[in-house]
Amino acid sequence: MKKLLSEFFKGIIKENPTFVLALGLCPTLAVSVSVINGIGMGVAATFVLLGSNMIIALIKNFIPARIRIPCYIVVIATFVTIAELAMKAYSPILDRALGIYVPLIVVNCIVLGRAEAYACKNSLVNSFMDGLGMGVGFTLALILISGIREFLGAGTILGHTVVKGFEPVFVMGMPSGALLLIGLLLGFFNLAKRRN
Amino acid sequence: MIKYGLILALICIIASGLLACVNTLTKPLIIRQAQLEEEASLKAVFPQAETFQPIKKDETIIYYQALDKSGIRQGVVFKASGKGYSGVVEAMAGMFEDGTIAAIKVVAQNETPGLGSKITEARFLEQFSNKKDLSGIQAISGATISSRAVINAVKEKAAEIRGLIKNE
Repeated sequence: MKKLLSEFFKGIIKENPTFVLALGLCPTLAVSVSVINGIGMGVAATFVLLGSNMIIALIKNFIPARIRIPCYIVVIATFVTIAELAMKAYSPILDRALGIYVPLIVVNCIVLGRAEAYACKNSLVNSFMDGLGMGVGFTLALILISGIREFLGAGTILGHTVVKGFEPVFVMGMPSGALLLIGLLLGFFNLAKRRN
Repeated sequence: MIKYGLILALICIIASGLLACVNTLTKPLIIRQAQLEEEASLKAVFPQAETFQPIKKDETIIYYQALDKSGIRQGVVFKASGKGYSGVVEAMAGMFEDGTIAAIKVVAQNETPGLGSKITEARFLEQFSNKKDLSGIQAISGATISSRAVINAVKEKAAEIRGLIKNE
């Protein structure tokens, strides 16, 4: 049980996909304009991670090593398509806001990275916990980045005005602002780690 | 070697079967969502009308007739698109019989957030209401290309549709 919990929590802090592994930065830069986009992207990626990690852990002995990558991609793409169709059917606004970045989860390095580094060597339950932890870690990182960006770039949080008369910092609404912010946050987390 | 191909083929067959099921389940919902959105947009650009009737030519909708309660035509609604700063900007516009614009709405755009994306805001769009001549509309500062894309697209399409209804 303790092992399972540590599999889950490692994705959130010790091996956070965004701030420690620095994987999947491309969608992070692009969609983290507003908190709602961040949550939507995080949930979609978590769903795909969970699905692909579990299926790959289940069929790992059946897949020959030489063709494992195409097999993983088919599994991942299947879950991404399910997520995309579900989003179109239930939340077309979110679907439009995330646009091309939902189908691009297929090539998100976090998903393939976890399949290759973890799920193909571990049991179903462990892989489930790993996927969940990584997904939650990714979602939290997105919420943090998009929260700061939405507040500084538009003066709102989840679409609600927080400070009246706040002049937005324009660059925070652009991917370049996201890159600056991620760099600063990475530096901050590294500093905190070194202090420990 | 053949074994590899067979295994990959098997995985693909299972995956496509699963996706076919999901597609069948979500398709009606997706179509319904698109319809709801279309209806909401039509109502937004022509609030005076009760029902909208698509006028088609070769299966593509050219414009909608905006009808009031008793089925009398009050005007038309049309879609106009033009090239913005990054990609196509698509607007929907309602027009009264005399060629005056009722209201417009941007239905699809991919402009720079915070700049070009301001073309979706009421402050810009309200300028179109109750105007016949669109040359006086103020572009958003810092987003001239996006603003021009909307203004010119609506202007050109309005002229085209005016010609069409006149000939009926």
